[in-house]
Amino acid sequence: MARFFAAKIAQYALVLLVALTLNFLLPRFMPGDPLQYIVGEDIGRLTPAERDAIRVQYGLDRPVVEQFARYVGDLARGDLGWSIGRKAPIGDVLKERLPPTVLLTGAALILSTLIGVALGAFAAWRRGRRSDLGILTGFIFLESMPAFWVGMLLIAIFSVNLRVLPIFGMETPYVRYEGLRRVADIGQHLVLPLATLTIVSISAMFLTARYSMLGVLGEEYITVARAKGLRETWVLFRHALRNALLPVATLFMLRVGFVISGAVVVETVFNWPGVGRMLFDAVLARDYPLLQAGFILTTFAVVAANALVDVVYPFLDPRVRVHG
Amino acid sequence: MDRAQPLAVAAPARRPRLPRIGVISAVGGGLLLILAVSAVFAPLVAPWDPSIATGAPFERPSARHLLGTNDVGQDILSELIWGSRISLTVGVLAALVATSIGTVVGAVSGFFRGPVDAFFMRVVDVVLSLPFLPLMILLAAFLGPSLLTIVLVVGLVVWARPSRIIRSQVLSLAGREYITAARAVGASDTRILVRHIIPGVGALIVVEFVQAAAGAILIESSLSFLGLGDPIQKSWGSVLYYAQARSAFLSGAWLWWVIPPGVAITATVLGFALIAFSLERVVNPRLRQR
Repeated sequence: MARFFAAKIAQYALVLLVALTLNFLLPRFMPGDPLQYIVGEDIGRLTPAERDAIRVQYGLDRPVVEQFARYVGDLARGDLGWSIGRKAPIGDVLKERLPPTVLLTGAALILSTLIGVALGAFAAWRRGRRSDLGILTGFIFLESMPAFWVGMLLIAIFSVNLRVLPIFGMETPYVRYEGLRRVADIGQHLVLPLATLTIVSISAMFLTARYSMLGVLGEEYITVARAKGLRETWVLFRHALRNALLPVATLFMLRVGFVISGAVVVETVFNWPGVGRMLFDAVLARDYPLLQAGFILTTFAVVAANALVDVVYPFLDPRVRVHG
Repeated sequence: MDRAQPLAVAAPARRPRLPRIGVISAVGGGLLLILAVSAVFAPLVAPWDPSIATGAPFERPSARHLLGTNDVGQDILSELIWGSRISLTVGVLAALVATSIGTVVGAVSGFFRGPVDAFFMRVVDVVLSLPFLPLMILLAAFLGPSLLTIVLVVGLVVWARPSRIIRSQVLSLAGREYITAARAVGASDTRILVRHIIPGVGALIVVEFVQAAAGAILIESSLSFLGLGDPIQKSWGSVLYYAQARSAFLSGAWLWWVIPPGVAITATVLGFALIAFSLERVVNPRLRQR
């Protein structure tokens, strides 16, 4: 068990190290002056003396190893650098952008899991029948659609033509709602981005749940339960589904990284003020430090989710505790 | 596979009604054929040159411009036909890069095992743990928007999964008797790898390639939609980027400016996915049961 955790910790440390190194090397070894990746297009307006001053301030005149140590040290202290586009410390930008993303991706993760598991269990139960194959085919279609396009269609249908839901953003602009009114307002704005992100995230959940349920339904204890004359719904929910949920639980936590990636395009379409939209704005503004911070932040989120799986899994599956 | 069938569920022994593999691959192949023909013969098929204004901005569909015009008066249908070249080329090239890296890494790790394998599999773990879209956005932003950038970035991120699958197949092949026999008659490692192992996983490599192409086209569309595509050579994703930037879905224009490029992307990805689905079942008949 201890060896297992040591190996895992080493792996996560390696992932973070690779991400940090990549982030560190990109501005320094790309063609052109590294300074342009720190100050952006302002570089044309700076005098040579000012450029040198900034180089010294950022330590670009120091040996590479020292620069790297300084870079990691700054990160550890929460100093993520300065955003070119927003003209603000990146830490402040992220603090403002994180809650909307957590709300959107968290809700999408939960919703896609619930729907995916329900459909997956149903499809497995109806294995090979028309309803099973129909759902399967539907998901092959869904998986082939670009997430941002699904979002654009939903906006065109529900916001523009039916006029039932707001188009952009997280809150109605210029109006300041308080308390419950505000919650309702945010909820209304959440519907379409949430629907989009959920639609594009369900199929992985569905396939895992269906496959896992198929395996469990073939087990002998299910045959025994049926032979005892238990009702079919009781067998399905009390006996089969509980065990079929293990792989789903693992996937749930591992999907964090994927959902964040999906959130980039969905937030862009809906102008949702989260980290994903921030990355898009950073691309437009050539705001390299902000892009780098976004990458580091999402890497941390993915690693944290993976670590959570390792910690939680033995509690979910006692077999791992025995063999581990 | 001789597990007792669940009683109540499968009591009437009905055959799964999955359409025949031939049908599935024909649908997939048909979709790709149409798109490939329009890509190859774009200069003949496209009614207008999409790089110049051939109408007024924001024209509605008409006999002259079947899908109307965009914000600068370029014909949208012609943009899509020419765009199929870009989307297909970038997707296929990126899949080629990914599958090549995946094959080499998978074959070498599975064949030599030991420290080489341990090293490469750590690398695979790391690549799979990185959030792929933020990583690709970061790389594409630094490398500058161009088609080559997208091919490389997608290829460099997508190779990890195929390499793992190819490795496990190579591992199982390397233990077979004919490999031992080849070694006994004095064949070198290189010869065994090139003459016996790689051909042995050939079918699997094709499946992985087709699957990677589906993924690569989808990712390319996302990156282009985020404005990281080549602004001169527009892919379907870039067409949607401009549609989004000009808020095409806020007017009736969504019907001819937003829907068609998305349908084209979906049809292409679906075409590749269906072919991968049927090839997988030809290569591995056990999958047909599921």
